[in-house]
Amino acid sequence: MKHALLVSLAVLASSAAAQSTIKINGYAGQDNTIYPEMINRYVRPQLRGVTVTYQALQGDYNQGLTTLLASGSAGDLFYLPGETLDTYIATGKVLPLTGQVSTAPFVRSLTNAFTRDGKVYAIPKDFNTLTLVYNKDLFDEAKVAYPNNNDTWSSLTTKLTNLKKALGSDYYGICLAPDYARMGAFAIGAGWKQFGANGKTNLLDPAFQAAFNWYTGLTKDKVGIQPSEISQDWSGGCLATGKVAVAIEGNWITGFLKDNAPNLKYGTALMPKADRTGKRGNFIYTVGWAVNANSKNRANALKVLNILTGPQVQQYVLDQGIAIPSRTALANNPFFKKTTPEAQNAAAVFAGASDGNVAPYTFGPKGPDWAKPINAALAAALSGQQSAANALKKAQQDMATLQSR
Amino acid sequence: MFRKGQTATAFLFLAPFLITILVFFFYAFARAIYYSFTDFNLFNDARVIGIKPYLDVLGDSLFQRALANTLVFSILVTVLQTVGSLLMAVALNNKIKGQSFFRSAWYMPSITSSVVITLIFLWLFQRRGVVNYLITQWLTYLPLILTFLGVMIAVQVAQVLFERSRKLPAKWFDPALAAMSALIALAVTLGLNVLGVVGARDVQPYDFQYFSDSWLSIGGVRVLSMPLLVVVIMNTFTTIPTLMLFFLAGLQNIPAALYEAADIDGATPAQKLLRVTVPMLRPVTFYVVTISLIGTMQMFDQVAVIGSAAPQETLITLAYYVYTNTFKSGAAPVNMAAAAAIILALIILLMVFLQRRFFVAPEAQ
Repeated sequence: MKHALLVSLAVLASSAAAQSTIKINGYAGQDNTIYPEMINRYVRPQLRGVTVTYQALQGDYNQGLTTLLASGSAGDLFYLPGETLDTYIATGKVLPLTGQVSTAPFVRSLTNAFTRDGKVYAIPKDFNTLTLVYNKDLFDEAKVAYPNNNDTWSSLTTKLTNLKKALGSDYYGICLAPDYARMGAFAIGAGWKQFGANGKTNLLDPAFQAAFNWYTGLTKDKVGIQPSEISQDWSGGCLATGKVAVAIEGNWITGFLKDNAPNLKYGTALMPKADRTGKRGNFIYTVGWAVNANSKNRANALKVLNILTGPQVQQYVLDQGIAIPSRTALANNPFFKKTTPEAQNAAAVFAGASDGNVAPYTFGPKGPDWAKPINAALAAALSGQQSAANALKKAQQDMATLQSR
Repeated sequence: MFRKGQTATAFLFLAPFLITILVFFFYAFARAIYYSFTDFNLFNDARVIGIKPYLDVLGDSLFQRALANTLVFSILVTVLQTVGSLLMAVALNNKIKGQSFFRSAWYMPSITSSVVITLIFLWLFQRRGVVNYLITQWLTYLPLILTFLGVMIAVQVAQVLFERSRKLPAKWFDPALAAMSALIALAVTLGLNVLGVVGARDVQPYDFQYFSDSWLSIGGVRVLSMPLLVVVIMNTFTTIPTLMLFFLAGLQNIPAALYEAADIDGATPAQKLLRVTVPMLRPVTFYVVTISLIGTMQMFDQVAVIGSAAPQETLITLAYYVYTNTFKSGAAPVNMAAAAAIILALIILLMVFLQRRFFVAPEAQ
């Protein structure tokens, strides 16, 4: 009898423990150290009796999360990258948060990035936009004016060409990755829309063509080069070598430069304006917190979500230089007024979210495959294997095939 | 035939193997066939939609490229590695000093992880990699190399003609004379270099991108991409040693009497290889070609490791196509992946069947 009592007590205890455990799936890397610490610091004191664990997904996050969702073992709460939002909504495993969480305190364009058909599927965690990060020494040496917030595509091209002329063959104006994640922002600035009224993408749109031609045309006379040409894998790496004057990157570059090129003097300007529209274009890269629709602990999961997107945690994220937080109230934070290159970059990233034509960086319902034809065309045109016109024609054909499936 | 209870015992011992096969092969295969006729996307309840997934797959330009890449890769690698491993086995079958050292040394590529080898090849063939560096060096020193070779050939010809004029039996490739010619050529080249007549040139670094969208075309049709050619070289390099072992084992079974008879008839080494060794190895060759075809048709790891370092079209194979269509973010066209997998299985079956039907020796059946 006593034995049976013990067993039943143990079962009760374990089921109670299971009910009050919230599992979070997120990125590996620095998040894997930051989030367990933030959970300890902010979540644990406010939610007694609930165990919160952070499980980082190594490798390709999207693949990892998909496998966990399909097998029913994903966390109660997980990161939802803005670019793959549509493919996850299609799984039916993401809980719509409308009516469950207040979206009012967050930057509107960020919550819009997670809204489909009037339903919000995730609360923005933090965000980034693109900026022009430039090496001051190279511009000084070439006696060329720094890039500034009034630059257009053509004035920037002139500056970069003059710089290349002055510094010679070992130096380059700008690093251009063959990636929609950079080139696409210029197309948006020129007035291109990612999806037309019928949901189809038109890469032969004059706005897209203009941006594509300008971007790939920069490689003329090696003013612009691909990172791979100087044995780098991204343009932040290019900038760190001291041989490239400009990189198009977000706030993530500041931490990298601090570690890898501590003596590099750099400044930040907003993205250049398109000549024909006079507007700059930008992408919003954002990751949100989403709740698993199959979570057995929905109430607690929502509580954890509210704490992790709360003012305290966001202030901490900003102070630590981890990311640009998503609450509107933080816009006037003293941090953005500082004169350090990191803070100036952060301020430009924050300003980029609302200046000119801004679009969320997203792939639509076909997922990451959507960007592949564009990236292939960029690689072909940037390396000079195909003319820009031919590369775009082929990309449009592939895009049409993909979207007609 | 069996005594009572024996059948049960046999099945008991076979059970672990049978269960594994049933679950991971037959069940999985049946599920794949089922999914290939549905609209399954990992998350929905599968609904049968007929042959649409097959039509989608066949109409997908990426699948067509994957199919072409796979066939070209498979045929090229199978030919290269069969011929290569046969020649290597014949070479290693000779009684030479340090035979066991060479046998182990040549087997090394086969036991190294294919991921590691792929990473090394990526490094070799980078735009600023070792291969481009060596080509640059070659181009830089080409005047010196050509001078050396030219002088060496001239001296060798002069020496042979001189010996023959003295009625001595000198061959064109006489090693003693060649050594002398090389020494003279080296001295002449060094002398010319010191005098400044010939020297290293200033050349631009050789700048070929191996992992780019460049193709070898025949009549405007893209046949083989440069990145795939790199993988062909790599795959041949890593699989030759394993296949060589099979040939080596086969060579041990060829009666020495046949070679002795060929020697008496005055056969050259090439004739012995083609008329004795190759025909006697036909059963082994059948085995080697079969596993080579199946292995190359299913090639995946090297493409996956190179990943986005090369444009997808240049490298994609059927196995990789199946993988990329299954592991995506969110809902994925698993039905198309299943259809492609079934098509791949059918092609392999067909190839092996054709090979058995037409190319196999009677003793292999």
